[in-house]
Amino acid sequence: MLGLPATNLLALKAAAGDEIPGAVTAIPEAARDENLAWAGLILLLPALSAILCGLYAALKVKNRLPGWTTVIALAGSFVVVCFLYAQHEPGQPTVIHLFDWINFFWGDGAFQSVRANFALYVDDLSIFWMLFVTGLGTCIAFYATEYMDEDRGKGYSRFFGAMSIFLLAMCSLVLGDNLVMLYLGWEGVGLASYLLISYYYTRQSAIDAGKKAFIMNRIGDLGLAIGIWLIWYNFGTLEYDALFQALNAYLPVADAGKLPGTEIGQPQLGWSAYLIPWFLMVGAFGKSAQFPLMTWLPDAMEGPTPVSALIHAATMVTAGIYLIARTYPIFWLEMEAGGYALATVGWVGGFTALLAATIALKQYDMKRVLAYSTLSQLGYMFMGLGVVQTFGACFHVYTHAFFKALLFLCSGAIMHGLAGQLDVRKIAGLRLAKGWKIVTWCMFIGGLWLAAFPFTAGFFSKDEILAQAFVQKGPGFRALGWIGIITAGLTAYYTFRVWFRVFGGRTLHIEPGPEHHGDPSSFHPHPPGWRIKAVLIVLTIGCFAAISTGYWGIGHWIKGMVTHSSAAWGLPLHWHEGDIPFFGGDPHFTMYFVSGTFGLIGLAIAAYFHLFNRKAAERLDERFKQHFITNLLPRTLEKKWYLDEIYNALVRIPTYLSAKFLYLFDRIVIDGILVGGIARIPVLVARIFQPLQSGALQGYATTMAGGVALIAVWMIWVFLQKGGG
Amino acid sequence: MLAGFLIAIPLLAAILIGIAPSRMARWLGLLGGLATLGWGIVFASMYPFWSEIPQEGANLAGYWPVNDSWAIIPLVGLELQLGVNSVSLLLVLLTCLFAPLVVLASFTAITERVKEFYIWLMIMNASVIGVFIARDIITFYTAFEVSLIPAFFLVAIYGGPDRREASFKFFIYTLVGSIVMLAGFVYLVMSFADSVGGWLPSTNGGVNVWDIDALTTYAREFLTPGEQAWVLLALMLGFAVKVPLWPLHTWLPLAHNQAPTAGSVNFAAVILKLGAYGVFRFVIPMVPEAVVEFAPYIAGLAIIGIIYTSLVCWAQTDMKKLIAYSSIAHMGFCMIGLFALNPIGAQGGILYMITHGLSSGALFLCIGMMYERHHVKEIERIGGLMKSMPVWSFFVVLFTFVSVGLPGLAGFVSEFLCLLGTFVGSTESNGGYPGVLGPWFGIIAGVGLSLGAIYMLYLVGKVVFGEEKIPEHDHSHDTHPLPRDLNFREIITLVPIAIICFFIGLYPTPILEAIEPAAEHMLSAYPEIVEAASKTASAEAMPTTPEAFRMTLTD
Repeated sequence: MLGLPATNLLALKAAAGDEIPGAVTAIPEAARDENLAWAGLILLLPALSAILCGLYAALKVKNRLPGWTTVIALAGSFVVVCFLYAQHEPGQPTVIHLFDWINFFWGDGAFQSVRANFALYVDDLSIFWMLFVTGLGTCIAFYATEYMDEDRGKGYSRFFGAMSIFLLAMCSLVLGDNLVMLYLGWEGVGLASYLLISYYYTRQSAIDAGKKAFIMNRIGDLGLAIGIWLIWYNFGTLEYDALFQALNAYLPVADAGKLPGTEIGQPQLGWSAYLIPWFLMVGAFGKSAQFPLMTWLPDAMEGPTPVSALIHAATMVTAGIYLIARTYPIFWLEMEAGGYALATVGWVGGFTALLAATIALKQYDMKRVLAYSTLSQLGYMFMGLGVVQTFGACFHVYTHAFFKALLFLCSGAIMHGLAGQLDVRKIAGLRLAKGWKIVTWCMFIGGLWLAAFPFTAGFFSKDEILAQAFVQKGPGFRALGWIGIITAGLTAYYTFRVWFRVFGGRTLHIEPGPEHHGDPSSFHPHPPGWRIKAVLIVLTIGCFAAISTGYWGIGHWIKGMVTHSSAAWGLPLHWHEGDIPFFGGDPHFTMYFVSGTFGLIGLAIAAYFHLFNRKAAERLDERFKQHFITNLLPRTLEKKWYLDEIYNALVRIPTYLSAKFLYLFDRIVIDGILVGGIARIPVLVARIFQPLQSGALQGYATTMAGGVALIAVWMIWVFLQKGGG
Repeated sequence: MLAGFLIAIPLLAAILIGIAPSRMARWLGLLGGLATLGWGIVFASMYPFWSEIPQEGANLAGYWPVNDSWAIIPLVGLELQLGVNSVSLLLVLLTCLFAPLVVLASFTAITERVKEFYIWLMIMNASVIGVFIARDIITFYTAFEVSLIPAFFLVAIYGGPDRREASFKFFIYTLVGSIVMLAGFVYLVMSFADSVGGWLPSTNGGVNVWDIDALTTYAREFLTPGEQAWVLLALMLGFAVKVPLWPLHTWLPLAHNQAPTAGSVNFAAVILKLGAYGVFRFVIPMVPEAVVEFAPYIAGLAIIGIIYTSLVCWAQTDMKKLIAYSSIAHMGFCMIGLFALNPIGAQGGILYMITHGLSSGALFLCIGMMYERHHVKEIERIGGLMKSMPVWSFFVVLFTFVSVGLPGLAGFVSEFLCLLGTFVGSTESNGGYPGVLGPWFGIIAGVGLSLGAIYMLYLVGKVVFGEEKIPEHDHSHDTHPLPRDLNFREIITLVPIAIICFFIGLYPTPILEAIEPAAEHMLSAYPEIVEAASKTASAEAMPTTPEAFRMTLTD
């Protein structure tokens, strides 16, 4: 900076091409390409579809037009994303400016402009995210055209309109080139989620669930908003590109001639910048349903099942992961400065993973089990981010998107065919029913993937994260790794508990759900049609295609994408290789055996209790129920650790009571005593002059009208005096 | 003369309504409203400074037209001066927009004393526009006060069961505030006249002492900090009642609640803006040193208002009261934006006046339409209207999300800028403007975002969604039977607002560009204050002379 010798030396070294230990390459500056404006179609198509669905609703369209419009629009979006990917140069972000949104300045210097335009930030991370978001979105919209068939003419247009809004918002969340556009998408997906959860608007539980989701997300959003404001506060920009360029100065960038970790040449961020990750984290936890903002997601299952699959499992809930991966350099700098933001992310993820898995053990509603498994898997992804395994987190996002969507869509097919029945205690032997083969085996595949059965995609992606917990040095990361491994065992158990209960068993036994009216004995499950089956098969193929590791197949491709994006920028190269042995070997290798074993144990227990010897499970249950103490744990799990009750008592009720109190305060103290008291003084004085006031409104009106008339006459007169103009 | 028509057209319409038979009143009212809107648009399209900053000195802050003035009381040099800058023009447009809409909304709702009703509406429009286009202090104050009268009668004659109490409270409350404000104005003008040597341009060298801009220049240069503080308090009292700023808000829920639909809409959309406009026009540019000193306290009150009223909203059982209380919280955002004293907050605060007018006005319109059908406002007594009124429900949900500040809709842009402006309260991160507020103000006010979602979704969840619950009502007395869902007239009342909400939400650039010079002009005194303060600070820190150095030691 001041020409100190050390800096010069470094600059010389860097110029000579020597590798400086711990140094990283600078975050690349984005290219600006106006010719790519056609990429705006990615957003425009779902927007058009939303508008059209609105029109269909207004015109009371009774056919499947809204569904097909949405499918075509989303497929179009997917194709455009593919084209965008085809022309994309790895590692080189591009900013595509569409049109101005918030854009003003009052000087040329730093901190003298606010810019948040409708512009796309196309880099490997956003393209990767967009590919599976639009791809899965298309599949699931296609599935929904059949699933929602009975609602044609009623809520069909509304449903697909909200789906389109969701995709529009999700695209702007992922592709936006600034944090405000991310916020737009962030709240937009919240809106779509709210509209779709409360889709069955006459059901009180659905409205409450929608409200809960939106409000809880709003609480998280406050964290995100504060994070955004803090970014402006520190860097004077809201755009990723400018932000990353500003961050370059603080990273140990080799070619800028800065020595990592020294005072010389490497400026330190202000203390408030180190708070940014903490606030962004809150936003991410809200959207991705992590502890403590997690209780909305299981309730969100009130929405139609395709919504649960797309929004509340595969795409929207991964927005938190995206946010952290997108702003990873800030998290990284905080950690380099000795902070614990990333460790906290990892620990919250691990804790949520375990907590949700325990709850899933004792749930009877199939969709709820899946919802808790989503929470749990999202926890793994946060764990991956926390232990600096962004690739693992993104890989798991990808595999999870496929197998979880598959599982949800299968349970949706069951719910659809069984008149809304989802209780695992009331269905058995479904594989024996006619026309249910595909659902049975697709769900089996999905279950294996979720349970991280050896050599499935879920197995490889999960192991990337778990192994890194043993490689990375951090507060208690080894314990965190073990939590993950135990959770893997639990996951295998609860997943196959559901599958064995529903599909296993020697005889077919079904109690129809609440939507069946009439004699239960005359009930026959109606198997899914071709569109549902086709989507299930496509997703199963997707699941198989995802089998890979970081060194080959899709996993390798994802690794390339992630390491060329902000999720890895600023991180030193060769970060992921550790020398800490785990069971005598490289953790990334030995983990396969350890977590595989735990998974198989879980699976075996599930098979014993829920397939081969169901009586034993019942006996065990009875045994537990006999005594208050032994019953404590199962009951607490069934009641979801009483989280809802605790929040209600600690947050909702006090807030509501304070609202009621303040209203009374407003009426009695402020309006009654203060205002009323002051008003009394002139009244007392005025008593003296009372006779002068007639009190008749007409009197006032006449006086007033006369006054106005006088003024008007005066104005005209003045105008005439001046001779006009 | 161009600006004069903005007042003359509604007044003319009022006279026409007065002479014509009363069955024509509503059509004439609509015509008057449309004429006002039409002239407003024509006038706005002639405004030359939409985006470029006007030449220095030639035309301060882009006021136009410059020569719209008539001598009223030549004895004291008093001239009636009219003109607009971009901000007042936007507010004029907002008023003009609602002029025909509230008439449309009252077509079937008002059945008695129809003539008077529309006359008062027209006078209301004229007076409110008068406030926005006034360039001299007398016109401003007169219009400010006159606007009370139609508002008073709209509530007192056409209001609900507690209309007498509501209208008197409103009238007296705001009158007391404005009388104190008048004292502030009188003091300002007198000291101005004293210092320049008289009232008349002929004696004082061509200075128009009534001109607001001249007064502003004088006040910020020559008033001592003590005087500034007093002027600030006097003016703020008047404006704070109108805004309303906590704890001077208690007239508002009552007046909103008791007013007929048209009255509530006008209250929310334009009357509340008079206070915020006053802050923009007088308080912040006139007495900068006092503002820097008092801004944290005023913003503190606004933030208390945001949290407090957001919670109070949740405890409401009456829909109109809920929206009324939410207006207090929203105007709190507007106030912290303005008092953040940096361009971000100023832009946000000014835009907030428009967006809040749109969202609250529209919500009051919606509730009015529902009330005409079911005659209830209690949240508990009605529910599940989605089934029988899908179109109405669509609009309610839409405007609810405008109101809670969903990005992509109008409310967000202004709210975000207000909060960002509040948050970045340090001089370095402000581009040279004083950082009087700061992260804590931003964070606490931000809690209002979450609370806003709670009470608005509570309203929507109860009224729009849920099991259908419609109270029994005898419709045989209805003179104008209405269909179950909205009719064409009602839809075209709401559609323009919805379109503008989307437009501002997705493409606010033209408006932000237009506001920018005016916002900068409002804050033009502040960078100097910062510089002066930093100079004195450095002078204190580093004594330049030996004497000064010894002084610091003995202190």
